[in-house]
Amino acid sequence: MIYLPIAEMPVSVLLVLLVSGAVGFVSGLVGVGGGFIMTPALIFLGVPAPVAVATGASQIAATSFSGIMTQTRRKAVDWRMGLLLSIGGVAGSASGVWIFERLLRLGQLDLIISLLYLVLLSGVGFLMLSESYALIRGRTTRGVSILRRPARTVAHTLPFRIAFPRSGLYISVIPPLALGFAIGTLAAIMGIGGGFILIPAMIYLLRMPTNVVVGTSLFQVLIVSSLVVVLQSAATRTVDLVLAALLMLGGVIGAQFGARIGAGLKNEQIRGLLGILLILASLKFLWDLVIPPVEPYVLGGGLW
Amino acid sequence: MRRALAALAFALCCATASAQQPGDMLNDLPAAVAEEQITVSSDYRGSYITVFGVNPDRRGRGDIVVVVRGPSEGAVVMRKRRVFGLWINGDPVEFAQAPSFFAVLSNRPLRQIANAQSIWQYQLDPAASAQLASSVPTGGDPSAYRRALVRLRYAQGLYQSYAGQPRPEQRGGLTMYQGGLFRAVVRLPANAPIARYNADTYLFRDGRLISSQRIPITISRVGIERRIHDLATTASWAYGIMTVLLALFAGWVAALIFRRT
Repeated sequence: MIYLPIAEMPVSVLLVLLVSGAVGFVSGLVGVGGGFIMTPALIFLGVPAPVAVATGASQIAATSFSGIMTQTRRKAVDWRMGLLLSIGGVAGSASGVWIFERLLRLGQLDLIISLLYLVLLSGVGFLMLSESYALIRGRTTRGVSILRRPARTVAHTLPFRIAFPRSGLYISVIPPLALGFAIGTLAAIMGIGGGFILIPAMIYLLRMPTNVVVGTSLFQVLIVSSLVVVLQSAATRTVDLVLAALLMLGGVIGAQFGARIGAGLKNEQIRGLLGILLILASLKFLWDLVIPPVEPYVLGGGLW
Repeated sequence: MRRALAALAFALCCATASAQQPGDMLNDLPAAVAEEQITVSSDYRGSYITVFGVNPDRRGRGDIVVVVRGPSEGAVVMRKRRVFGLWINGDPVEFAQAPSFFAVLSNRPLRQIANAQSIWQYQLDPAASAQLASSVPTGGDPSAYRRALVRLRYAQGLYQSYAGQPRPEQRGGLTMYQGGLFRAVVRLPANAPIARYNADTYLFRDGRLISSQRIPITISRVGIERRIHDLATTASWAYGIMTVLLALFAGWVAALIFRRT
């Protein structure tokens, strides 16, 4: 047991390491950031939602930084695009932290986090499940639908167009800024990196080539999650350094094992399993919102 | 404006509370606490507060009541209501003052020791110390919100009441010994606020207050817990940047290990 100085509660070190290791393992296995599993897992462990969200962001910063070091060596980062996404993300995370603080004061933060996770987990769960189903059934045409990029999107018609040499694009700066803003806002409110929303959006909306998508999204996630940690520390004081260190340790080790074992497994089956897991988790959030509460009154106002 | 009003309300509450309470503390009951300082370090899992005392009455007449109080703070209670099939938190009801921690111990049930008016006057019941600050939403019952606050805090272990000897399976309770000696033990859960507390001891006879004593207890962080908390509150920007640097370092180490294997 160790006492968390900001969450003001004792937690079992072993349990937190196990949970963060398991989340890291899954994220390494499937190739996702894992923030959208880590934050709800911490909430289920009894960590107050505000602390879980703000502290989870520091673990995302650690994971994305180790990822970006690998991607930079492969020259798989479009810095110009990453910079634009990050500028949008910086503004978005500032607005997200502001919304977070307002909701905290209104006593509605837990509800909004639950609702957002309900939508997010079930949405991503169904996507993964249907994708893996399509891949297992007929692995030819439908499964690779992610590569069928539209020829021209709104990004090509809006003003302020500039060239992105590494992505081979000549598009408006507005969609990357707006996209970065949206992801930054969600990141601050939900304690996620947002890579799993950002990556499809970059492929479909911005028409970026797939080889630079992962590295560039990692760059944006790194900048935004780092900023979220600093802003949450200053605005809501909900970042717990001790919990953060435990999450980083468990998450990093878990991710290494996950990535190694994932290389020898069938990806579509893993994704299908994760899809089922996410849908189950979203059902738990739905259940808590729908069943009549045993205790109709709740304490609110402060962090707890 | 709202802040100014809140501050004014707070000042008024304090004024009335202090007119009632410390004035009533006679400080003539021999009592002491086992530890005047309770420290919170990284292995903190809650603690116990032990109050010793002697009934000054030679024939041992009268009843002992011990109250351990945390600082009074504002509190908010919301009633859940159903919107589109989902249960969401309804309009908040504010309390200007509510004890953040409250444990009352007595040698027999409190209502047999003092009447309702005395319980209210000396604030021997947590509900007596909770003061509503805002109006209750239409159709709501103010006392239901007050009861809910007390019930929720009881469920969190922040409010406690013990009548008589501690039961075998628990340490908390009031034990009377020969010669008027008594010992009160209160369990302080890990979620109790880290602040200054008061252990107040009262002697009642035939429902009247005979003597009382107030002993302050300080709960404070020490060591690394203190450093981290101080940094997070006084230098929150630096604290955030430090956390990010730690994250970057962890990521860097992970990438190095990953490249080798």
